[in-house]
Amino acid sequence: MTQQQMAPSPRALAFRRLAANRAALVSGVILALILLAALFAPLITPSTYDAQTWLTEALAPPSAAHWMGLDDLGRDVFTRIVYGARVSLGIGLAAAICSVLIGLPLGAIAGYYGGTVDWAVMRLIELFSVVPPLLAAMLLGALTQGGTPTIVIIAALFGWVQVCLLVRAQVKSAREKDYVRAAVALGATPSYIIRRHLVPNAISPVIVGFVLSIPMAMMLEASLSFLGIGVAPPVPSWGQMINVGMNFMYFYWHMAVFPTAALAVTVLATTLFGDGLRDALDPTTKSR
Amino acid sequence: MILYILRRLLSVVFTFIVVSIIIFLMMHAVPGGPFDGNDMPVSPEVRAKLMAQLGLDKPLPEQYFRYMWGVLHLDFGVPFQSPGETVLQLLGRAWVPSLTLGGLGVLIGAPLGILLGMAAALRRNTWIDYLASAFATLGLTIPVFVTSMLLILIFAVWLGWLPASGWGKPEKWILPIIAYATIPMATYARYTRSAMLDVLTRPFVTVLRAKGLSERRILFVHVLRNAALPLVTVFLPMFIGTATGSIFVEAMFRVPGLGAYFVSSIETRDYALEMSLILMITTMFCIAYLLSDLAYALLDPRIRRRR
Repeated sequence: MTQQQMAPSPRALAFRRLAANRAALVSGVILALILLAALFAPLITPSTYDAQTWLTEALAPPSAAHWMGLDDLGRDVFTRIVYGARVSLGIGLAAAICSVLIGLPLGAIAGYYGGTVDWAVMRLIELFSVVPPLLAAMLLGALTQGGTPTIVIIAALFGWVQVCLLVRAQVKSAREKDYVRAAVALGATPSYIIRRHLVPNAISPVIVGFVLSIPMAMMLEASLSFLGIGVAPPVPSWGQMINVGMNFMYFYWHMAVFPTAALAVTVLATTLFGDGLRDALDPTTKSR
Repeated sequence: MILYILRRLLSVVFTFIVVSIIIFLMMHAVPGGPFDGNDMPVSPEVRAKLMAQLGLDKPLPEQYFRYMWGVLHLDFGVPFQSPGETVLQLLGRAWVPSLTLGGLGVLIGAPLGILLGMAAALRRNTWIDYLASAFATLGLTIPVFVTSMLLILIFAVWLGWLPASGWGKPEKWILPIIAYATIPMATYARYTRSAMLDVLTRPFVTVLRAKGLSERRILFVHVLRNAALPLVTVFLPMFIGTATGSIFVEAMFRVPGLGAYFVSSIETRDYALEMSLILMITTMFCIAYLLSDLAYALLDPRIRRRR
């Protein structure tokens, strides 16, 4: 106890480790900038996302006035990318949060109790993991005419499976450990053991799973836009912009390249930040 | 073990039935029918006759049981968009290019990804690690149709080294295979890196070092085997996942494979083909997961003992 009072708390240590990781720090700053840009989009863009202000100069390449050029309908590409961050990040985050909210408890319970509970959860997982999300999304899209809620629902419905499996595997092997047996012997309830010991020990796969489900949702959105059942225009999303831009790719490269770069940078930053967070939160890497 | 396999097979049947019911209902809930399109307008009388001929005028439960009865006898019906052949013949024909390209893509991409992930984990926080992570993330970030587009643009249009599209000659396979390989490679690089990092810090590795085992032996025999658990579970599903990837890759490279049928069967309400495609993929995923779990038990004695 006295040692704990003198030494910095685990959280402070984790924060220190995170700050020492240059890649994670840079990614975090980039992510923060993208989030701020998305939040304050009207303040930093020259027009609105659907204003065809420069119709006569449509398809113009990047210039001083328009950093990223104009699209085929005379709209500023930079503006649309900033507004697209709202849609893409929103879909990615919403889907990832839903995935963890469903996957973490189910995975922990299945891994800890095993037996019938595990069997039931696994059957549920099997149902969701054997139908490709894209096909289900296409069917559901045909039914609901697409749109943002459909994409988030599909991404979450299929994203939780991965989180759940990762947590389950981790919990399953962790519950063999002596400290869990000791906790059981000391009379700890299953829910206490899961909350206090097993879930914190499974946090690193949860973070990896959370981080991986953000790009997965963004990709699903992009794929659905490719098939014409994604976010409905004129609201811009990066996936949809890539798809439109691809039709002009051979002559007007800027329309496809900038949204692709935006998607890539955002996901790269998210992933590296998640990795840094994972390393910082996992005390076993402290000595290295 | 045999009892376990039998139990799992039973659950495959259960999944198959549940999925078939859900898909069947969703499919018929979409408004419109197979003969409502504008390509070939038919008079109401003809349409009614066609619907009656195909049994589409019957109540839904009866249609479902008829179809499933056929499936039990390996009769998957006739695709409305190509009535000259059965669904099985159509799939048998279209499956070949998809399986060749997708399969080769995974078989080439997965080992490369494992090597990349190992290199990243061993040289942690160096430029190798950052490069591998950047590649892995880019591979997972950039949609496969953009990758395909870039490949065509660079190697076919600008450099003129390889043909942009088609099927038949092996040199036409190269670009689509690269496009298919990026996802398994990126996924494996990521998973291998994080699994290796997990295992490398465990005490038994220190013990092995203290015992004087060569670093190579520790890596390839002990660490890789322990890190292999998460890698094994994603292999077969990824292999089958190329089937849906084919929707994009084959559209970009004009490969006459399965891809186009996924979209067209849903768009044209080609019920028999739609149902067969989804059930086929579903069943293959079921079997893939069963095999993965068996491999899991083989690799980790702790899990085997508990069953």
